[in-house]
Amino acid sequence: MESYLVAMLVFAGLYALMALGLNVIWGLAGMVNLGLVGFFAVGAYASALLTTKQFWPMPLGWAAGAAVAAAAGAVMAVIVARLRGDYLAIVTLGFAEVIRLVASNEIWLTNGTDGISGIPGPWRGAVTPQQFNLIFLGIVWAAVALAFLLCARVSHSPFGRVLRAVREDQDVAAVAGKPVLWFKVRAFCLGAAVVGFAGALYAHYNAYIAPDGFAPLLTIYIVLALTAGGVGAMRGAIIGALVVVLLLEGTRFLAQAIPGVTPVQKAALRESIIALSLILLLRFRPQGLIPERTRTKARP
Amino acid sequence: MTETRIGRRAALWGAAGLTTFAIGGKAFGQGAPVVFGALPPLTGAGGPYGPAMLRAIQQVVEEANAAGGIRGRQIRVVAEDDQTNPDAGVRGARKLIDVDRVSALMGTWASSVTTAVAPLCWENRIPLFTVSGADSITLLPHQGFIFRTQPNSRLQIATGADFLIRQGARRIFHLAAQSPFAQSSQDTLVEKMRGVQGGAVTGYIVYERDKTAFRSEVDQIMRSRSDTVFLNGYLPDVTILLRELFRAGFDGRRFTPAYAVNQSTFQTLPNDVTNGVITWQPSPDVDSGAFRRLQTRFGNVEVDPYSAQTNDHATLAILAAAAAGDAGGVAIRDNVRRISAGDGERVDNVTDGLRALAAGRAINFEGASGPVDFDERGDIRGTKFRYERANNGRFELMELR
Repeated sequence: MESYLVAMLVFAGLYALMALGLNVIWGLAGMVNLGLVGFFAVGAYASALLTTKQFWPMPLGWAAGAAVAAAAGAVMAVIVARLRGDYLAIVTLGFAEVIRLVASNEIWLTNGTDGISGIPGPWRGAVTPQQFNLIFLGIVWAAVALAFLLCARVSHSPFGRVLRAVREDQDVAAVAGKPVLWFKVRAFCLGAAVVGFAGALYAHYNAYIAPDGFAPLLTIYIVLALTAGGVGAMRGAIIGALVVVLLLEGTRFLAQAIPGVTPVQKAALRESIIALSLILLLRFRPQGLIPERTRTKARP
Repeated sequence: MTETRIGRRAALWGAAGLTTFAIGGKAFGQGAPVVFGALPPLTGAGGPYGPAMLRAIQQVVEEANAAGGIRGRQIRVVAEDDQTNPDAGVRGARKLIDVDRVSALMGTWASSVTTAVAPLCWENRIPLFTVSGADSITLLPHQGFIFRTQPNSRLQIATGADFLIRQGARRIFHLAAQSPFAQSSQDTLVEKMRGVQGGAVTGYIVYERDKTAFRSEVDQIMRSRSDTVFLNGYLPDVTILLRELFRAGFDGRRFTPAYAVNQSTFQTLPNDVTNGVITWQPSPDVDSGAFRRLQTRFGNVEVDPYSAQTNDHATLAILAAAAAGDAGGVAIRDNVRRISAGDGERVDNVTDGLRALAAGRAINFEGASGPVDFDERGDIRGTKFRYERANNGRFELMELR
């Protein structure tokens, strides 16, 4: 039981990291990014390949995962420079699919749909699986704390204010003399780096990655987490990730507790509960559990 | 405004509390029964197969419970949906292993899910019974904890190629959907054709399985003057391919795995298009007592090979635990070969098996999917293959060996 809870907290931590990354891009800069899982995959593959094939030490692999994802983010930001709203969403969604297809077809590099197994984890094998879980819990939540401090700082800095200005009206920001594209590129870089770092951690926690694991479903979960927590608020991203994992896992037990429900119905029920909660949330509390509060808004 | 917020928070805490209660209840609820975990794909790409796979497992367990269980201990199956997704599969497996404390996991379908879940199984020292076909799975350092009832893709392709050669095929064009089997299929096929006088693989194309048009691929097949085309894909893409091959006037053999052509193909395509398509599949041992029992329990409907395999997963785990007198994961791992191979009394169902074991006799379980003998890597030995030809909207058996 304990190791299950610990494992789920690790997942929650990874989701929180991704939600924080998304929050910089979407929450602050207002760019809808449905290609999240693409950056996650890039980070995971970069770190997995460097540590298993080049035998880099793990921390370097993680840093490389973040760096490669950041670079991908920068390229992405330039490509989508002129897109907003739905168009941006579709292109970023396409980006994630491209990454997944490249991962499943470039067999020489990624081992194709077989995936990469045997990715090392910190002290894996030297300690019991339970201890490994605990070690990883510490690492992931330390990363969450760090990312949170970083993102919160960014959010309240002049840089963050410009991003919000871009989000509200990029023409006005441009007229005020702000180089909009340059700000967008940096926001994308930062967000993608955090997501890529989460991907790298995920690869080393799971010990196995394959293109199937980077399906758009994961992006939906993170968007749900951020919507639940409150777009724009960094605390909201973390709370939202916890809520999503609670929802994903709690529904297992809730559905199991209902008598007379077959496992097949239970599986369908779980998916409906998750979908329904997203719809209800958007309908009744679009600002999320912890709405964004900026200093200007706090003092009316 | 403030009030709503408090309401929401209270609701959240309530939900959290309820979940904790549910979790706690489960933890204290476990006592005597032996718990097995099923992790079939109930939703996602494997969704059409998972429910029947699970039903097969549950029915075996019910039968075993009626026969007195494992040395008097009742058996319980807890199922989680792997959503045909490795990430969801890992979370489901964690729950089964850490919360339900299962002593065996069975019924994983997608190769990626099996590969992702496997390390959890060997780290926690419980066996994993799977129907996934990717060669790489049993090559993992699994310490004997993986048992696979599906012949690996190498064996499947080699057997299929032998059949084609017997049928007189010499120039084979290989068209494969991107999958873990594509490359290993090609390697095996080339190796096989090299061993035949005049044999050659005339072309090899890997395509993306979501494609909806195959003009250039079909042109290349036509240009290659092949006598046989091997359509190594899935249902949607093979359906389109068959139509386009027909339009292009291809008159050679069309050979495809059985999961890529089925009744729905006959409903989609006219008989002129499908006539003569040859399918092959690792066959459940349809003449075996175990298979007939399974078919009766399913209500005399078509039984797919995966359900036949999960039927055997559950039976193997139960009999191994009964033979060991211990329902722990390691005991099951160590006793699977003891009850599935050797000179013991042949049994084809869990009731007879439990009875024989209780009487102290050695047994050799022969399952619905085949003789279920495992080699040292956990791969299955000696499965039968079934070859069928489509004719006017029906399959005709060509060969079973």
